[in-house]
Amino acid sequence: MTGRSRMVAIYAAAGMGAVFWVGAILAAPYLWSKGERLALFIYACFSPVCHQIPERSLWLFGHPLAVCARCFGIYSGFLGGLVLFPFRGGLRNLVQPKVRTILLASAPIAADTTAQFLGLWETGPAGRFATGFLWGGLLPFLFLPALADLAIGPSKGSRGRNAGADFRA
Amino acid sequence: MNGPRPSLFTPALIGGAVAGLLSAIPFVNCLCCLWIIGGGALAAYLWAKDIPGGLTSGEGALVGAFAGVVAAAADALISIPFATLNSVFFRRVFERLSAYVEDMPAGWERWFDRTGPFQVGWFFVGLMIAAAIFAVLGALGGVIGLSLFGRKAQASSGPQPPLPPSAI
Repeated sequence: MTGRSRMVAIYAAAGMGAVFWVGAILAAPYLWSKGERLALFIYACFSPVCHQIPERSLWLFGHPLAVCARCFGIYSGFLGGLVLFPFRGGLRNLVQPKVRTILLASAPIAADTTAQFLGLWETGPAGRFATGFLWGGLLPFLFLPALADLAIGPSKGSRGRNAGADFRA
Repeated sequence: MNGPRPSLFTPALIGGAVAGLLSAIPFVNCLCCLWIIGGGALAAYLWAKDIPGGLTSGEGALVGAFAGVVAAAADALISIPFATLNSVFFRRVFERLSAYVEDMPAGWERWFDRTGPFQVGWFFVGLMIAAAIFAVLGALGGVIGLSLFGRKAQASSGPQPPLPPSAI
């Protein structure tokens, strides 16, 4: 298997995983609306990674999604980032984003989460989704190069001291 | 002379234990997956600090994934004393839901009254599911941690040998 075909396989696997993940989150309220007990199993599967508080969740088919709005934003943002990934220089471009890009994308979710944790303000589900989506969209650009690094071998810019070329600045 | 390469297990244990502890304590666990991602980042930082020449992003993902698995185990163990409290909390969530939603799934009340072998079985099934999910989230955290803190970790561990030409 060549490096390029391995990268295609990694991209396809990540894409299928993300579609399955987001699909399960969306399927839970649908199955609930149909009276399927499988819905409870899906909610239980996501309970270790999310508080699932109804007031902080987006609703579909008259029921809350399997995770809160912020978590759903992160996961759907990840899927959106995967879709955009090939347009940033193709699958062979494995240079990770610069540190300032990571900090910029992380600032809204960090500020909003911290402020709510401290009780400074309360954001609605749409705001939580938006901050999560922005941050989640960044993650494939970090994650896919790391997976390629494990499966294919280190590439230029994959080492921590010069990742994204920013560490040499 | 380079000594033996430090093992990834100690950083993974520390990062995973911290993440598992924070994601198991009721009310503190409201940050959802962010604790696990943070634990992966911490593990990557701790490992990068000890590795001359730094880590690759793949190694960051690896130590983060191990931290995620440790976090799942720690979360499961620490959650046991809080099981009653969590059960009460989720029952209240579903009771509030039932006020909004008429067609609650059949038998949802019994979901919180699991006892005996089923509960033990569900504990291990839940642990396996959580380990898989936490490993992915921890790997993400490891990569992020390496990107954000890799340089600081390198600087604090002293002067580094030059990179081989193939890596530049």
